[in-house]
Amino acid sequence: MFRSISTLPALRQARPSRHFHACRVVLAQAQRQAGSTSSAQDAPIVQYVKRKVEERRRLQSELSEDALSEEDIRRVRKIRELEPLQEAWAEWNRARQSLEETLPLLNDPDPTMRSMAEEDYAALSENMNNLVENTFPALLVPPSHTGHLSAIIELRAGVGGSESALFVADLVRMYTRAAQSMGWDVNLVSSNILETGGMKDAIMEVKGKGVYDALRWESGVHRVQRVPATEASGRVHTSTVSVMVLPLAEEAESNSSDDDIIKMDEIKLEVMRSRGAGGQHVNKTESAVRLTHIPTGITVSMQDERSQHQNRRRAFQVLRARLMDRKLNQEMLDRRDMRRSLVRSADRSEKIRTYNYAQDRVTDHRLGMSLKNLTSVMDGDGLQDFIRALQQRHHDEILEEVLAQQ
Amino acid sequence: MPPPSRALLAQLSRAIGRESAQNEFRWMQHALAHPPNGIRPPVKTIEEMVARRVRGEPLQYILVRTATLTATRFRTALTPVPPGSQPFGPLHLLVRPPVLIPRPETEEWALRLADTVNPEASPGRPLKILDLCTGTGCIPLLLCHALPPGSVRAIGVDISEDAVQLAEENARLCGFSGSEGRSQEDKTAEAEKRNSFTPVLADLMHPAFVQRAGLKPPYDVITSNPPYIPKDQYDRLPSSVKDYEDVRALLGDPEGTASPPLVPETERQKGLSFYYRIAELVRHHGLLRPQGTLALEVGDGQAADVAEILERDAHVRDISVWKDLWNKDRVVLARP
Repeated sequence: MFRSISTLPALRQARPSRHFHACRVVLAQAQRQAGSTSSAQDAPIVQYVKRKVEERRRLQSELSEDALSEEDIRRVRKIRELEPLQEAWAEWNRARQSLEETLPLLNDPDPTMRSMAEEDYAALSENMNNLVENTFPALLVPPSHTGHLSAIIELRAGVGGSESALFVADLVRMYTRAAQSMGWDVNLVSSNILETGGMKDAIMEVKGKGVYDALRWESGVHRVQRVPATEASGRVHTSTVSVMVLPLAEEAESNSSDDDIIKMDEIKLEVMRSRGAGGQHVNKTESAVRLTHIPTGITVSMQDERSQHQNRRRAFQVLRARLMDRKLNQEMLDRRDMRRSLVRSADRSEKIRTYNYAQDRVTDHRLGMSLKNLTSVMDGDGLQDFIRALQQRHHDEILEEVLAQQ
Repeated sequence: MPPPSRALLAQLSRAIGRESAQNEFRWMQHALAHPPNGIRPPVKTIEEMVARRVRGEPLQYILVRTATLTATRFRTALTPVPPGSQPFGPLHLLVRPPVLIPRPETEEWALRLADTVNPEASPGRPLKILDLCTGTGCIPLLLCHALPPGSVRAIGVDISEDAVQLAEENARLCGFSGSEGRSQEDKTAEAEKRNSFTPVLADLMHPAFVQRAGLKPPYDVITSNPPYIPKDQYDRLPSSVKDYEDVRALLGDPEGTASPPLVPETERQKGLSFYYRIAELVRHHGLLRPQGTLALEVGDGQAADVAEILERDAHVRDISVWKDLWNKDRVVLARP
């Protein structure tokens, strides 16, 4: 399952193209053998595309004269859906054919002919690679239905007391920097600051297109191994912070009462402190609120803003994000054809990453990938490498799942 | 947190309690770090802010968020004391001593009232809203903001010049300034498409109040957060209220009022004078339209008395009471 390791160097170079590892190896071999190209055709993705193209042809032949029946309408829709794949397949075939024609010329006695043939071969192989690695997957992997969502990041100190709280603050800084350099809007919505300097918990809002899809893999337990600032003896401690990334819809969308995920009669709004006589008698700012969603028991407390109204809005925003998160997870669990590996991302207690200060290394346990230069990760830059790799992994898994279907 | 901050936070905690101190300290730091519109607060350091707060000054007066004080927007002279600010619903209002700082209870019911007011109730003409004892203008400004543009003409009355001036600044800040300061062309062209709020200086208790204030009844909505604190309670108020906010905004039974004694002997000193006066105005001056709404904020424990005053003296029916988030009866509403 460690296919990712071999793609490490490619990732560090931040190449934009995607890798379909198995296929690359196969094509490289074909190039060396300069013999049959049959092994390229055996690649699963190519087989799958071929099957789909054949399916399209079959549907076309089944279409009746006037194409009016229900069946026919369905066929026509499917035929149209598969057209881009058909075109990509045609292109792949043309390239493969040209490649076969070029093969004999690689052994041509004339050096000029040989070098021209080599150039052609390289260009055609590149084209075929591109189709297999980029075009086919893009056509087969359905677009993310969460692609438009922004995100709420909730961080909570775990094991390790005040040291863990300090690491919460470090992670908040890391995510803030990463978000800013990716051009996203980032805000610290709420935080519980300790006198010792860390944060017991924090909530961040990150807004932009594709934010949720990028950050969702940050959910889980982050582990830090370092000598705490307060530690006199210089002993390394291990602390944890749990991170939860929740989907956040645009406020405009989420206000539509028709299918709003929150029903007002299921909400209990409470204040957190007494105000005595209240009203004109008291001018102390009292803005803390607690929102309870009765059906699920989820509560959100908010007191960082200076007015009830502002805190209430923030609390609703966070509640909405938590409910949407539950809904998405439930949808994933309900899909019985979903692979276990995708469902596992819902387990929030999984240790996903270790930040080892002494060894200046950050390891993501899902990828089996380590990055040196911990500072670059904490600054936000190195983190982007992890984010990209995790998104790629997700993409590859979906592709595999698609290919496994008949 | 660096040591000096820790000491300041401890000092603040001792004065106002630990939980409040955490939040207020953070807000002070935020105000210093993010001066809106690039204008620095008058209080330059966190030390000064904490010192003032520890002495009892309300936080809201200490924090600053100033409007763009350009000559084109403000014809009045700049006040020597720069205004602080207070979030009120979706608005940010200027606050300044001694004008009453808007309370969260008022914020809550004003928002709720905005939801219940129906702008279609008077098709073809804007709703006329009258706010008595307007202070910062928070209630009518919130209604102006919440209701469709062009559907509201609001007027707010206050006895205090400071309040009227501040309310005017808030009106301009929120974009709801009435006809004052606008050219004739502005008035006609734009007036229809905007909601407007005009503060007026007048003494509610004066016998000739309606004429002096230039009121043009009837009004569709009458709101008020009138002074309602009984004298004995006023004397026991915390320093941050009593020593910094206008007594005229708080004391429910003002001494030496111009009006004849409305309040029965037995009811005096209960902080209800203004409710008697408002009931009288509604009854005898046709202030409220037949299908209109009267909404009055009341003090702790006063709802029953105020409901009775309205029923008996204002001849209104359909009386209901709204509770606030702390479960206290906070607003008495009525229809004529």
